[in-house]
Amino acid sequence: MSAPGPRPNAGEPNGGGADAGAAVWQRLDVRLIWVDVAQSLLSLVPAAVALVVFRVEPSWGTLGPVAVIGVVGTVGAVADMLRWTFTRYRVTPDRVERRTGVVVRRHRSVRRDRIRSVDATAKLRHRVAGLRIVNIGAGQQSSAGESAFVLDAVRRPEAERLRGALLRTRLGDAPAAPSGATGESVAATETSTAVRPDGAGGVPVEVFARLKPSWVVYNVFNAWAYLMALGLTWGGYWTASMFGLDAAGFVGGLADWDAIGVAWTVVIAVLVVGAVGVVGLAANFFVENWNFELARVPGDDGTLLRTRKGLFTTREVNRDDNRMRGLQISEPVLWRWMGMADTNVVTTGLNLWSLYEPTAILPRGPITVARRVAGRVLGVDPSPLEAPLTRHPRAALRRRLWWATSTAAAVTGVLAWLWLTGVVPAWTLWAGAGLWPLGLLGALVAYRALGHTVAGSYLVVRSGLMSRSTVALRRSAVSTIAIRESWLQRRLGLKTVTAMTSAGWGAYRAGDVAAEDAVAFAADAAPGLLEPFLDRPDPVPGPRRQQAASSP
Amino acid sequence: MTPDPTAEPDGGVQSERAVGLLPPRHRVERRAILRWMLGAVAFPGTLTAAVAIACVVWEAARPWLVVVVIALAVFTAVGVLIEPFWRYAVHRWEATDDAVYALTGWIVREWRVAPISRIQTVDAVRGPLEQVMGLATLRVTTASSRGAITIGGLDSDVAAAAAERLNAITQRTPGDAT
Repeated sequence: MSAPGPRPNAGEPNGGGADAGAAVWQRLDVRLIWVDVAQSLLSLVPAAVALVVFRVEPSWGTLGPVAVIGVVGTVGAVADMLRWTFTRYRVTPDRVERRTGVVVRRHRSVRRDRIRSVDATAKLRHRVAGLRIVNIGAGQQSSAGESAFVLDAVRRPEAERLRGALLRTRLGDAPAAPSGATGESVAATETSTAVRPDGAGGVPVEVFARLKPSWVVYNVFNAWAYLMALGLTWGGYWTASMFGLDAAGFVGGLADWDAIGVAWTVVIAVLVVGAVGVVGLAANFFVENWNFELARVPGDDGTLLRTRKGLFTTREVNRDDNRMRGLQISEPVLWRWMGMADTNVVTTGLNLWSLYEPTAILPRGPITVARRVAGRVLGVDPSPLEAPLTRHPRAALRRRLWWATSTAAAVTGVLAWLWLTGVVPAWTLWAGAGLWPLGLLGALVAYRALGHTVAGSYLVVRSGLMSRSTVALRRSAVSTIAIRESWLQRRLGLKTVTAMTSAGWGAYRAGDVAAEDAVAFAADAAPGLLEPFLDRPDPVPGPRRQQAASSP
Repeated sequence: MTPDPTAEPDGGVQSERAVGLLPPRHRVERRAILRWMLGAVAFPGTLTAAVAIACVVWEAARPWLVVVVIALAVFTAVGVLIEPFWRYAVHRWEATDDAVYALTGWIVREWRVAPISRIQTVDAVRGPLEQVMGLATLRVTTASSRGAITIGGLDSDVAAAAAERLNAITQRTPGDAT
């Protein structure tokens, strides 16, 4: 092994920051081994209980599942021990490095000034042992779904120390890239009335939102209910049959299903399964979001936006306010009548594809709460997300109707051709024609979602068919501006303005702005960027002429 | 309305004529037309030829392969005879001390402006065809994964000089480019 002087994690009792143990390669915490041993023992318990307590006949049919659980648990634990043996990490003044891998050795190093987020999670077994998994997010690539840097697991004080050390981006660490010199100000952090002193150090913590149990309503009505119900029913049936209960017979005996008829049986089944799913989703919502709290807490360099939630697995995500570029509120179209909304931050260095949604700062909930919290998080009054938006011209609707019509016509045409050659039956033609009214409806919905404006230092765009999302993006965060015009758009007098940024989805579009307003809007969206290239009605002897000599 | 000092007051903008964008200063090389033509021959052209051969050889599939061949042939003809000239008429570019500005496309036109202070990498890329013809593509990426500016059809010396200059300016422009 190439690690110079590997030593067990000593926990750095002085807490003197990363520099104290700078160049020393450290192991993950040794308690991980005990957790693994415990896990493999625990995974054998079901088999033991079945054998000893219930005296089940040992055969593949009865013991197979519990045997699989035991084997998976044990193999997982052994693999984890191997991983522990071969993993080292260290924090040097300018980078974080990790070596891992048994067969394929990986050495990853991340520049500290590229680190965007550090968050600590813990599964139940980690919490019992006082361990934390540290996820380090770095660079703009992670917003495209690239994996972060994971330390699984270190002791809790070590996790706290790492977070403190790594989120502190001092200017001295990176003389080549002084952050904050881009002309971006730190997100507004005026503390409002809800300031309470934190128990630890008397530092103010601004709490924006806590869990409201009524939000559960917004989280139970969706298609996942049926998937959840199927999982639960299958699991329940399975457990029951393992202990000799005949669940199918029990349900069959509840009513005279033959007398009720197939149609009603299906209706009852759908309703019952849906109800089971709703209950399951509700329970899941509370397990995931128990003790939810969104707060702005002081960090070593500026402030952090922190969410904390979870009943068994506590998940805490800290987002550096210096990395925040805006907010997004999206409203799923089918549930807009009940005001359902998701709230996400637009920030650099967070993985948008992660299952844990680190960009979500609120559980799915009412739009009124989302708007209020968004305004307070941005610290701007009035909130740019509530600013009145400029509607797009009628021509934008015509363009959408044209596309819906031509798409339906093309599909129907192809189907007609296939029908004539005898490939598909005649009724598919009707399916193709049925696309047309659907498409027209979609065009109308999509058109009504369109809107854009510039509100203070924020650029606001709204669009979306299935999910109408409103994004407020800091104008100083816009890097590239693109204006697009297709042949049809030119005929209709429309242009699409896109603002590219390093945060969030990378590009935010104001689709089909009136052509005569597009350039002015684009110039407003990225202050100063387009100035030299503007063709104003009253000719300004601008900087363009002076730059003539310097161009190649 | 805006606290930004660089933004011009909007008064009178809508009065007579809307604000427009000046076209970028430089055109691309005339040789680029030939390069685009050869490119069209290489991709849809060879595919058309392959499907046409299949159409001749495979009699059973002829009734519907004919449609595909005609569609591909039209596609290729447009790509060889119309698109390159149209593109040459549209494509323009410019690199000042503050920004890179390009206008590209044919049926869909796109104006892109990226500030020098946000540039992360500058590349001059030369494919095999471009090497033979002394052309190069200038590619400028910013911190946004979607914000790259690609300017094709430049003379390779011009592209190299522009890349050199942009790199020099980028290095003395402060900011961490996000």
